[in-house]
Amino acid sequence: MNKFIDQCCDKCTHTRSTPCKDFIRCCVEGPVCHEDLVCSAKRKAIIEKVALNENFVIC
Amino acid sequence: MYEKHLMICGATGCISSGSRSVEQALVKELENHGIRDRYRLVMGGCPGFCEVGPILVIYPDEVFYCHLTPKDMVELVEKHLVGGEIVERLLYKGPDVAVPVRFYDSIPFYAKQKFNVLHNSGIIDPESIDEYIMRGGYRAFTRALTIDSLTICEEVKESGLRGRGGAGFSTGQKWEFTNKAPGPKKYVVCNADEGDPGAFMDRSILEGDPHAILEGMLICGRAIGSNEGYIYCRAEYPLAIKRLKIAISQALEYGLLGENILGYGFNFKINIKEGAGAFVCGEETALLASIEGKRGIPRPRPPFPAQSGLFGKPTTINNVETLANIPLIVREGGAAEFAQIGTAGSKGTKVFALAGKIRNTGLCEVPMGITFREIIYDVGGGIKGGREFKAVQAGGPSGGCIPTELLDLPIDYDSLNKAGAIMGSGGLVVMDESTCMVDLARYFLSFTQKESCGKCTPCREGTMRMLEILNRITGGFGNPEDLDTLDSLAHSIKDSSLCGLGQTCPNPVLSTIRYFRHEYEEHIEEKYCRAGVCKALFSYKIDQERCTGCRACVKACPVDAITGEKKEPHEIDQGRCTHCGSCIEKCRQDCILITRVGREADVSN
Repeated sequence: MNKFIDQCCDKCTHTRSTPCKDFIRCCVEGPVCHEDLVCSAKRKAIIEKVALNENFVIC
Repeated sequence: MYEKHLMICGATGCISSGSRSVEQALVKELENHGIRDRYRLVMGGCPGFCEVGPILVIYPDEVFYCHLTPKDMVELVEKHLVGGEIVERLLYKGPDVAVPVRFYDSIPFYAKQKFNVLHNSGIIDPESIDEYIMRGGYRAFTRALTIDSLTICEEVKESGLRGRGGAGFSTGQKWEFTNKAPGPKKYVVCNADEGDPGAFMDRSILEGDPHAILEGMLICGRAIGSNEGYIYCRAEYPLAIKRLKIAISQALEYGLLGENILGYGFNFKINIKEGAGAFVCGEETALLASIEGKRGIPRPRPPFPAQSGLFGKPTTINNVETLANIPLIVREGGAAEFAQIGTAGSKGTKVFALAGKIRNTGLCEVPMGITFREIIYDVGGGIKGGREFKAVQAGGPSGGCIPTELLDLPIDYDSLNKAGAIMGSGGLVVMDESTCMVDLARYFLSFTQKESCGKCTPCREGTMRMLEILNRITGGFGNPEDLDTLDSLAHSIKDSSLCGLGQTCPNPVLSTIRYFRHEYEEHIEEKYCRAGVCKALFSYKIDQERCTGCRACVKACPVDAITGEKKEPHEIDQGRCTHCGSCIEKCRQDCILITRVGREADVSN
């Protein structure tokens, strides 16, 4: 998972044709539709790679 | 993980001063050290301080380097990135700080600023949707999808947001009009046709945070019941257009544009229309005509675009900065937060482009209600070269001149209108004592006269007649009745022109007559231009007592009009002098005087 649009696992269904209502919140806080530490770590890795400092992410 | 983030200003101002060369030199130096992969290098949006560009900010250290050249990269990489030591000589230094300073919080230029619209500029990679999302992006839009369209209009009304493009009409009210207009097809139009000389607020927002504009348009679309938007952007902004195209493509990929967005059944598409640079196309009805492929000329209103706009359909037209404020307002609690900033009648912040004879040229975002004095002296650092402030032109060529006695005027829509100026889109051109106010009025009127579309007689003919009078006055042929004629023509044009361009273009003339009447009278009655700008109305004369005979002026004169032996006072041959001003710029003793034509020197500026 290199970008937020990439799916963290098979449980993520967000695509253009099958959109998820929680997609934006899920990018930064997710996953919100299932609990999975690995999926959560994948999202955090994207954030940590580009976050300039601790104030960078705004939820 | 990167060790550090190297954010180089990739906006047009810094690119013009060489930031791409700095970037290339930095990459080369990182590669020479074999450490390229350890650092993230981004050509980001504008941090605003164009005067000291090219700028590089290093995170997480938060060190602000300025005035960079490609040669500086060797030392910067070796000392800071490899050695962990700050390169002090590349930090900000200026008369407003005692010691070189590291970052925003200690640079006076930033002290009074409040970043709302520009909160992402220079912080994120403008070509990354992920970074926009991390900074809270598209959350307001997601919220807008869950609430009623009229509730969105109501929230925008409650925020007090007024259009940032010029007229200052309530944005929420405008949205509500379009929402309530009948018809299945409606449009959202983003006016990115920024045309005021010296203004680049919208350009920087588009270049630094393009997704904020898309999100603002999406929310507007949801609020008014539209499924299609246009961004009308001048073709002279290629970087802005490139980044908008990237942003649109990313939003499509992420399912934030297109059909059934985020599963809420809302559809929206955005088109970009490149304008050809006509100033009048910033006027909303001319802009709509241009999008439709017609000649860009205004039409009478009513009907207003909210009833009959693009292709005859109800349309909301908002300026770039207005739309960039929308995500901040529509987020949870955003309207109340927004309304806390500013004055009773003018809420939020305003982005201004500082230009002219000011020390810190650039872009600043300040709360509404700040005074001109604070912007010019605290943010702008005062007047260049230690000269005296004379006036500031607020609102571009359709605005007015604010004189010294109004420096403490709060900047808000109503105060500016009372003073004979307008907020406009936010251009502030600062003038010092070397500016001739009559010539300035002539310059701005010549701009609007050239840009007049010619459709209505008052603007087409009236501006030409006014310009003829101003040309006569600055050429030394002014008549005592000219001021009354100018005043009468100006009011007729304001009252009877078809569009905003004609209705506001006499403002520079009216405001300079109001505040600098004595300069007009000097031009007309004494045939004298105290600023030394109107060439027919002054002579240069060398003060024989102060001249040391250094020959600097002799060498500078392009027409050999200055003679004199070394260490002896020099003379100017008035017959040869072209009044180019090269001598006065070079004179180290300040002994070249601006005098009345054919008279002895009695005034020194």
